[in-house]
Formats: sequence, C-alpha cells, structure tokens
Amino acid sequence: MMQKKVCMLGGFAVGKTSLVRRFVTNVFSEHYQTTIGVTVEKKTVTVDHQDVMLMLWDLYGEDEFQHVRESYLRGSSGYILVIDGTRKATLDTARLLQQTVVRTVGPLPFVAIINKSDLRSEWEIDQPVIEQLREQGWPVFFGSAKLGQGVDELFAHLAAMLLSPAPPSRICP
Amino acid sequence: MTDQSHLPDPSLSDHVLAALDIVVLEWEEEAGEFRLQGAPPEWWGQRFGPAIRCSQDPSQCSPFLQDYLTGIHRVWQGGPGTIEKSGPWTESDQQGGTMTLEARALSLGLRKLVLIERLGSDFENMRSIVQRARERMLAEDLTAKSHHKAETRLIGRLEASERTKDDALALLQQLGLAAMVLDEHGQIAFATDRTLEMLGIAAQEAIGQPWDQVLSFRKEDRRLVQHLLEGSSQTRSGGPLCLEGACSRWIELEIHRDLRHPVRRILILSDRTELHALRQALNEQASFHDLVGKSAAMLRVYQLVRDVAQVDTTVLIEGETGTGKELIARAIHSSSGRRNKPFLAANCAGLTDSILTSQLFGHKRGAFTGAIQDQQGLFEAAEGGTLFLDEIGDIPPQVQTALLRVLQEKEITRLGEAKPRTVNVRVVAATHHNLSEDVLRGSFRADLLYRIRIARVQLPPLRDRPEDIPLLAQSMLEKICAPTGKTVERLHPDTLRVLMSYSWPGNVRELKSAVEFAVISCKGNEICPADLPPEITGATMASSPSVFIPLSNQDEKTRLLTALSDANGNRTEAAKRLGISRATFYRRLVEFDIHAH
Ligand SMILES: Nc1nc2c(ncn2[C@@H]2O[C@H](COP(=O)(O)OP(=O)(O)OP(=O)(O)O)[C@@H](O)[C@H]2O)c(=O)[nH]1
Ligand SMILES: [Mg+2]
Repeated sequence: MMQKKVCMLGGFAVGKTSLVRRFVTNVFSEHYQTTIGVTVEKKTVTVDHQDVMLMLWDLYGEDEFQHVRESYLRGSSGYILVIDGTRKATLDTARLLQQTVVRTVGPLPFVAIINKSDLRSEWEIDQPVIEQLREQGWPVFFGSAKLGQGVDELFAHLAAMLLSPAPPSRICP
Repeated sequence: MTDQSHLPDPSLSDHVLAALDIVVLEWEEEAGEFRLQGAPPEWWGQRFGPAIRCSQDPSQCSPFLQDYLTGIHRVWQGGPGTIEKSGPWTESDQQGGTMTLEARALSLGLRKLVLIERLGSDFENMRSIVQRARERMLAEDLTAKSHHKAETRLIGRLEASERTKDDALALLQQLGLAAMVLDEHGQIAFATDRTLEMLGIAAQEAIGQPWDQVLSFRKEDRRLVQHLLEGSSQTRSGGPLCLEGACSRWIELEIHRDLRHPVRRILILSDRTELHALRQALNEQASFHDLVGKSAAMLRVYQLVRDVAQVDTTVLIEGETGTGKELIARAIHSSSGRRNKPFLAANCAGLTDSILTSQLFGHKRGAFTGAIQDQQGLFEAAEGGTLFLDEIGDIPPQVQTALLRVLQEKEITRLGEAKPRTVNVRVVAATHHNLSEDVLRGSFRADLLYRIRIARVQLPPLRDRPEDIPLLAQSMLEKICAPTGKTVERLHPDTLRVLMSYSWPGNVRELKSAVEFAVISCKGNEICPADLPPEITGATMASSPSVFIPLSNQDEKTRLLTALSDANGNRTEAAKRLGISRATFYRRLVEFDIHAH
C-alpha cells in the first residue's frame, strides 16, 4: 500500500496532537500535554478507490524552546499547517513554518486549518485575513478537534492533493 | 580471525550494553538488514520483539525508526566518527504507555552501527519544564486577552460616557444654562460657559476655587447661600441676590443635590439683573423720593420733577394745601446738581414785612430793635443749594421787590447794610393761590410771577387720584406703625372703599392724620372703617370740593381757636389737628387776626 509522510506543523498548543488523535482514534482531551519530539500515527484513507496510508508526523510545536528539525521534514509528501483561531500569533508562526518547509524540502502540497472553531466568538483571525491567505494560494480549512468538525475533510483533502498528478497550485514562500 | 580480535569479549559487551540500557543494531551488508547486538534491554523487547529485521517488514517496525534508518547510509558515508542523532520520538509500549527514544548512527571502522536509547529522567525534567513554560504562556495569553477585552470594554464605555458627557455638555452650553458643580469642599468643579460669561471670568479663575470667592455675594447673602448649601433638599434663593463687582448683577440661585454624590451640589444661576432693574423702575414709579402714588397724574408729576431738576431755573409748585408741595421741592433739589448743598425751606405766610426780609436776607447788628448781632439770611445759608419759599403768594409787596432783585441780579443786601452780596441759590416757590388772579387783583407783582413761574409743577389734589389712596394709606400705615411697635398690618377693603370715596379737602396731609387716628383706634391688625375719624366715615363725596374747608368765617375762626387751645397753643400741632399745613394755618391766623401766644 502506498505510504505518505505528512507532517503536522504549527505553533505550540494549536491542536496538532488533538487533530491527529481525533482523526486516528476519534478521541479528544481537554488536557494539554505538550509534544516533545515526534509521535508518528498511521491511518489509511481511500482516495478515488485507492488506499493510501498516511504516516502522520505529529511534531512538537514551534516556539522559542524548540525549532522544527529539518531532518523531521525530510521525506514528507505534504504537510498540514495548524493555526489556533483564538491566537493570532499562531498564524505568524504558520507563515514562518511554511517558508521553512519550502526552503528545506521544496514546495510540497499542504493545507492550513484554523482550529478551535468551537470558540469562534473568541477568534482573533477575521475574514479579510483568511481571504488574504486564500489569495496567496493557501487552502484554508476551519475545524474543531474538540467537536470533530472539518477533521476528516482536512486529511481527505490533503490525501487527494498528494495523489493528484498535478503539482500543488500556487505556493508562496 | 583478525575481525574477531577487534571485538571485545561478547559476554562483557553484553553486560556493558545491558548496564547502559542501550540497544545496538549493526548493519549487515550482505543480508541487507540490521542485526541486534547483544541482549537488548527489556523495553526493547516489549515494543519490537526479540529481533528486528526492518528491511524485511518495514511496516512492522517503528515508522519513525524506519524513516531514520532509510536515510542512515548518508551518515555512514560521512566517514568515521560521524554521528547523527534522530531526535526524540515517542513509541507506545505494549502496556498502553509510551516511551521516548532517540537513535544515533555511527560507524566504527567498517562496522555500521545504530544505538537506540530510551530517554530517561533528564528528558522527563526537560519535558515538564517546557510543559510548564507553555502552560504559563497560554495562561498569560489568556490573562492578557481578558485584560485587553476589559480594556476594550472600558474604553468603549469611557468613550460612550465621554460622548454622553460631551452631548450633555453641548446641550447645556447650547441651552445657555448658567450652572456650576461644587465638590464636597465647596469648590467649583465645573462651570458652564454661560456662568463664566455671567461672572465675567475665565474658567481657570473659577475651577478649583471656593464658591464664595467666585460668587461675590454681600455678607448676609453669602450666609444665606451657605445655609442653603448645607441643607439636603433642593432649594432656591427666594429673591435675587446681588453679586457685587464692577457692574453688579442680580441672580437667583437654584441648588440641587448631585444624585451621584450627595455631598456635591449643582447650582443653577439665573440672571435677574434686567428684571431687577425693571422692578426697581416699577417701584420707583409707585413712589418717587418721598412721594407715593402711581396714578397717571403723579407719574406725570415725577417726570416733570425729573425734567425740572435738569435745569437750574426757578420753579413754581402749585397745589392745594396738603398735597405735598414741599416734598416736590425736596425731590427737585435731590434730583438736581445741587443735591449735595443745603435745602432750606421758609414759610412766607403770616410773617411781617421786616421779619420775613430779615429771615430771607439777614440783617446787620442794630438794624432793628432786637437785632443784637449780625445775622445771615436764608439766601446766604442756602448758598449753592435750594431755597424753598412756601406760600409765596403771601409775601408782602416790599419783600416781593427784594425777591425780584435777587432773582434778577443774584444779589441780596442784608437789612441795615448797603453793600449787596452775591448769592447762588435756586428758588423753588410754592403756592395754593392762583397767582395770576393775585396779579389781577394787584396783590402780586406780575414781573415777579413771570420770574418765578419759569417752570411749573402742578400737584393734583388727592380726590383727583383716588387710585393712589390704597398705596398711600398702606405706606403711611407702615411708617406710623414702625416707631410705635404696633402691628397693624393692613386696611380692610371696606376701609379702603371709604377712604377712596372721601373728597379729602386736606389732601395727603389729611389722609395721614386719618390713618394716624385709625392706628390709635385699631384693636386688631387690620384697620376697619369704624377705626376712621367720624368726619370721614360720615362724609359723602363732596360734589364740588374747594381748597378751603367750606365753613363760614365765624365757624372757621372758632375752629382755629379750638384747635389752638386743644393743642395748648402749639401752632404746628393745631395745624395738624385741622389737617392743614402750618403755612395755611398761619395765614388763617393772620386773616382772622388771631394772635396766638
Ligand atoms: N476548544 C478547543 N480546544 C482544543 C481544540 N483542539 C485542541 N484543543 C485544546 O488545545 C490544547 C492543545 O492541544 P494539543 O492538541 O495538545 O496542541 P498541540 O498543537 O499538539 O500542542 P504542542 O504539542 O504543545 O505543540 C489542549 O488543551 C486541547 O484540549 C479544539 O478544537 N477546540
Ligand atoms: Mg502535540
């Protein structure tokens, strides 16, 4: 079966682990336990009748304590940029990480998700900013690991991108 | 063999590895797979089983490790001594727990090794530090956010309240309301533009200042305002209070409690200066100097007096006895430029030629029997001022001549002297006679009349202005009661009706004696018709009143004599009892040849 390495990238506590756990084991915990290093989870998805095993690399959150190791990125087929809607700064982190990936392993397919849509009233990222991201070629999803909203769609969309023969649309460094 | 000699004793290396808790995998080039060296630690067996042959079944082994091992040949090509760490990764063990591992690749001579260790307590310490740091950052982020939210909310509220305040202020200013707020110390915390304009000061002269320094009330008014401020309810100052200053203002105060701060006060100031002036003017119209009355006839008289006061000519006041001719003369004097100089009055009735001459012009010692020393006359005494000559129609011919000279030449000569003296005196004369008739009869010099009558004021008799009677009576009542301590407050409407229907031959003087009489008779605090003198209550309106009390000569003489004896020979008192002036009384005495001593 085809295997695809997918890195979960984003600032700390944006919900990378939560999204992976919701997707793989359909559980969610309010309790925050920061990821140190990497945990790799697997899940098979079917794209156009073709099974593909996603190797989900849940990386530690990017911040001043830990910067993403380039070695972790190597061999990736694509990645997911996770942003916490309630913290505007995590969008800046996602932008930096996206540039790092392009610099390190080139323009891979990716999707961005603005997580914690269950806390929409507390979001600090407004529609014009999102529109701006989309204009830059970012496929932006909204979702909630807590409620399970938009999670399957997110991974399915990326899987489809990974299998699609066309190169990823526009990637802006 | 040679290869074997490089290796340590297998049992020793097993022990060492077991003690280090490290897994050693060696790459077997020929088999194309990794082989476990020595006995692996227990945790390894729990996760991966006794051996690892990843090349044969990569999905069975750790995806992370597989990924790492895939790229490992690159490291070995780096030459001897090159070590590359995998970075930590987490694997779940068979008990449902997790462990964190880290691998490093190295080459020893030709042998290619991978060492895998389980990260222990140091790693856990590091993890908990990072966990705490991140939790703290999240918490601080939340706090900052809630602070920011509170700040935004407060700014919003502040802006809203500022807007409300600005609107209220604009409205207040627009309304032109003069208002100020006093703080708990009685200092001005706020004042509208209109207030500042009214007080003629700038904001910085008012704000923060004690109210009594900014509002320059008179002492007693200040005390009143202080008292009102100390009260807790909403009050008004009652009447207007005078703000002293370059141009004084009359204001009415309304004091409110500030509902938000009960000790603060809101003062609303209404400018009543204009109203006060109008009221004053109105009062002035009801009375003028000591004259009382607001009938059209009296208002004309007041205007005439004002006009006459402006010029320095001789004035003739004509009016029946008791109409207050002397008051008019005094009013002219006090309204004129001579007001600070003497006002002297002389009654020309009933005086002999020589007495009157000496009285008016003075005399030299020895000029006549009894002239024991030099004496200046009234003209000299009134120098610069006004001399009021009452009953001018009664002066003897010689005196008329001398008077004419004074008026023409502004000179007098003392009796017994030859040298004239210059005088500057304004003459105001009065008469109850028709002087024109006297001229025709030959008893008064025509040229003197024309000299005297340059300006004329005709005083109406009281019966021609009955509407003034209530005002006059009330004013008299107050004046009469004040020194006696009697508290007669008013006249009953019936009393006023009686007074108004009486003909008052003795005019205001007679009215005054009637009120005096009534005050004495009055038992309560209101004068009833029964308190009035009987001749008034009994009398009906005279159809054709005359200046004189219409009695026959004999009756008149008896009346004069009775009055004199009742007054124990005091002529002033006797005249008062008859309700006629002293001048008229003297004239009558002369006419009836009565010598009262
Ligand atoms: N309300 C809400 N909370 C979420 C959601 N997703 C994650 N969380 C919470 O966010 C916190 C962080 O979630 P993680 O999934 O551990 O985040 P992470 O990105 O893996 O964090 P690091 O590993 O430290 O980089 C946890 O307390 C979660 O319960 C969501 O969709 N809604
Ligand atoms: Mg995580």
